Amino acid sequence: MKRLLPSLRTKKRYLAFELLCVEHANRNDLIKEVMSSASALLGDVVASKCDIKVLGFEDCKGIIQCEHNRVKETRASLAALTRINGKRATLHVLGISGTIKRVNEKFLQKYKVFEPKSR
Amino acid sequence: MGKPKFYDFCVHAVPDGDNTSQELATLAGHLGYSGIALANHSDKLPQAWPLLSPPEGFEIFKGIELVEENPSKLHGLIGKFRKSVDILIVHGGSETVNRAALENPGVDILNHPAFEKSSGLNQVLAKAAAENEVAIGLTLRSLIYSRGSRRIRLLSDLRANLDLARKYEVSLILSSDAMSCFDLRAPMDALALAEICGLEEDEAIDAMSTVPEKIISRKRPGTGYVREGVEVLEEVDSF
Repeated sequence: MKRLLPSLRTKKRYLAFELLCVEHANRNDLIKEVMSSASALLGDVVASKCDIKVLGFEDCKGIIQCEHNRVKETRASLAALTRINGKRATLHVLGISGTIKRVNEKFLQKYKVFEPKSR
Repeated sequence: MGKPKFYDFCVHAVPDGDNTSQELATLAGHLGYSGIALANHSDKLPQAWPLLSPPEGFEIFKGIELVEENPSKLHGLIGKFRKSVDILIVHGGSETVNRAALENPGVDILNHPAFEKSSGLNQVLAKAAAENEVAIGLTLRSLIYSRGSRRIRLLSDLRANLDLARKYEVSLILSSDAMSCFDLRAPMDALALAEICGLEEDEAIDAMSTVPEKIISRKRPGTGYVREGVEVLEEVDSF
């Protein structure tokens, strides 16, 4: 299918995040939990307007996409995430940007995920 | 004006919570807080106050969350602990306890005021809170962990208290009420959550930075402090 013209595409924001967790989680479990947390907090109608997508997730850090004027709602629903696959986890948003390239350069490339000595 | 400093004034360390105060402080520093108050419930106090080495630019305040059903005993406890802690929190939950806490100027924060069928505040209590400068605590942990009908109830209580607080100019304070490292949320994430729950942006920022700073400054005498009741407000060169 032909891709939408750039002027017709909706604007996005990209959130860089790290996942603080007991056990390494995989991407599918994360997606499931993010979506269920968003629909529980915001309701399905608002959650659909946020257009939340988990774009990349590796080594406990990754990028989440959302609608550019719904960053607050997205952030709140990410903060309401408590468990992934039954194991406790916390999602910490590192920064927000308008392009994937920039969010990578600015927040993710050199970032080392927080590792406390004992947890 | 620089970036506001954020504080989390209700964090429970061992033996009350799961993690040691050092772990909580390190994580809070990493998330971007400027300080936390370790406020264990009064029935689960540590044997001795732990010696901590906070990260640079990070403050750890001594706090306590009093749990007491009997109002006259509560007043006694407040008098007992007031001198030794920076932040004094009362765990509310019944009409008499809420009233006792809000009418005592020695209390800094009242947490969990809600009880059955009531948000815990009314116009009388709100007036008392404003007069005695007791802040109403909004806690994130219950909001994050509950779902469905329980969360709906919490949110509607929060809205009711928020309306009263706006009308009577009661200060609000946003804290995590963390029992473990996993309950801490970054300040910006907590702000976003608070805004979704009905606070305005500036109210949410006040609740995390201005109100805590005010509470600390009340406990920490300024540079002109001479002794109790005597303070040099402004030095004027009279010659």
